[in-house]
Amino acid sequence: MDWSPLILTFELAVIVTALLLIISVPLAYWLNESKSRTKPIIETLVSMPLVLPPTVLGFYLLVVFSPSNFLGHWLQEWFNIKLVFSFGGLVLASVIYSLPFMVHPIQSGFAKLPDSLKDASYVLGKSKAQTLFRVLLPNIRPSLLTGIVLAFAHTIGEFGVVLMIGGNIPDKTRVASIAIFDEVESLHYSVANAYSMVLFAITFVILLTVYLINGGYLQKFRT
Amino acid sequence: MNSLKGIITNITVNGSLSLVHLDVSGAVFSVIVIDTPKTASYLSTGNQVSVIFKETEVVIGTGKEFNVSLQNRLEGKISEIQSGELLSKIILDTNAGKIVSVITTRAVKNLGLKRGTEAVALIKTNEIMLTA
Amino acid sequence: MIELSVHKKLRAPSGEMQLSVDINFPKRSFVCIYGKSGSGKTTLFKIISGIMQPDRGQIVVNGKTWLKTDDKFHLKPQKRKVGFVFQDYALFPNMTVLENLEYGLEKGQSKSIIDELIGLMELGVLADRKPDTISGGQKQRVALARALVQKPEILLLDEPLSALDHEMRIKLQEYILKVHQQYELTTLLISHDVSEILKMADTLYHLDDGKIIRQGKPVEVFTRKEISGKLQLTGEVVAVEPQDFMCLITVLIGNELAKVVVVRNEKELLKPGDKVLIASKAFNPVVKKIG
Repeated sequence: MDWSPLILTFELAVIVTALLLIISVPLAYWLNESKSRTKPIIETLVSMPLVLPPTVLGFYLLVVFSPSNFLGHWLQEWFNIKLVFSFGGLVLASVIYSLPFMVHPIQSGFAKLPDSLKDASYVLGKSKAQTLFRVLLPNIRPSLLTGIVLAFAHTIGEFGVVLMIGGNIPDKTRVASIAIFDEVESLHYSVANAYSMVLFAITFVILLTVYLINGGYLQKFRT
Repeated sequence: MNSLKGIITNITVNGSLSLVHLDVSGAVFSVIVIDTPKTASYLSTGNQVSVIFKETEVVIGTGKEFNVSLQNRLEGKISEIQSGELLSKIILDTNAGKIVSVITTRAVKNLGLKRGTEAVALIKTNEIMLTA
Repeated sequence: MIELSVHKKLRAPSGEMQLSVDINFPKRSFVCIYGKSGSGKTTLFKIISGIMQPDRGQIVVNGKTWLKTDDKFHLKPQKRKVGFVFQDYALFPNMTVLENLEYGLEKGQSKSIIDELIGLMELGVLADRKPDTISGGQKQRVALARALVQKPEILLLDEPLSALDHEMRIKLQEYILKVHQQYELTTLLISHDVSEILKMADTLYHLDDGKIIRQGKPVEVFTRKEISGKLQLTGEVVAVEPQDFMCLITVLIGNELAKVVVVRNEKELLKPGDKVLIASKAFNPVVKKIG
């Protein structure tokens, strides 16, 4: 069995999750705080991937970043960045597609914290950043963990967006979900089965770990 | 709680006690308080104050001639009696207003009190409070 | 001197309400803000601490301006020397008791204040515990200690004792009075409890529907006018038993129960929960030595 699709999948998931974490914390914080008029629009955009068929998103990304289009052309001319049928494009598409899975748990985590925690920290002379990193984030650890795991697992499992913008280039864009489809098409059921089993087992273990930690089942073993 | 209006006519101070004389709609009341004009601003001759005392502290007498030490007296006519098994509530209409008294039902019977009876309400000097 | 002038339109469940408070009181006062819920008390505290901004107003604390909307000047909450004990305590769940206190330290401030407060508030045994594992009264003490770490000029106590049982209340009142004295604080307390106010505060502001409707010394405000009876107790009616034209009322005074007979008057029917003043002439009570 060729392991490279699996390795590629996990590479992609790790990079996407890391990027999402960096983007989502400030975004979720802003969404929770803001009373701005643009907030409903941003909230809608963040949630779109939940309901939109992945192929729609993939199709538009493909069109926008295609070298025959202005933006894609410009990126390639000036920065030598090619987002279509490349790993970079996969990362970008996956970040957009998995955004709600990271933003929503973190946002609801912030929302559940009483305002008085933040107020108390300000009154104690601490800045917004200090308050975020020392008080707010440590107290929404379960939400952060949920976000990380959902985004990671969702990136592993995606298919439509990846196929549209990434295609099926070995070692570059041929992730596990594509490989499975490919093997089935070629009637290599046993290989497809092997890939599937690995994905199944890994996602099961990841999700189980989250439920155990957030449910407090592991608490008694920690100390 | 009974509350009547009175005007201070005279104050006699002795140490921290004051004996205050009041004109309560023509009747003379004397009240003893642990205050002096120095400690309580309302104690000043000519001032109008409220004279307050509890219903259970009002003694009822009938007839004109009797010798008792109680100096604070208001004459009037009984306008209402509510009798319970042990205690009765008597409302007396006086010049100074309605006064409520609570005495034993037995006393009501012994004195033969009923609506319209002329009676005197008597209150001990040390049972009366003043308030501005 | 503390000068507060605060105006803000609030949206209350009952509709719009205009909060308008103009009050001054000397440094080191113990001020109580009394009033129904929804009368604007907590909002006033949030504006004093800088968490919330008024529409219009000015706050000057001991000569230093904290807020002046006319000049668009608004000192950040971080820069105000204020200690705030929140109604829900707002202890940081991720930190131990000690860490909660240390979080309050200013940059470069000596840790000796922490040891001092731990000693004063008797928190030594709790230092390594997380807030979730300690009782309400203990949380209250931690919150009070944390609010004092930066030696504030004003201490704001937002109904801190309402969730505690009677005994714990008495104890915490003593802690609060102790720190009020020791750190020369100007303390503002939100409270509903008349006996608590009479015990703690020297100045009372009664806030109703966003406005101060009564102010002065607590005893005078609550009794409204001077009454010459020298035995005066305030308490809360806990039971009313009507009997003929009278009522036997049971009144909780401090932690003792007293029974008083009142002749029923239709105009002022008492019910459990009413705050009452019991007055009697000094001549009447009988005194007996105990033990």
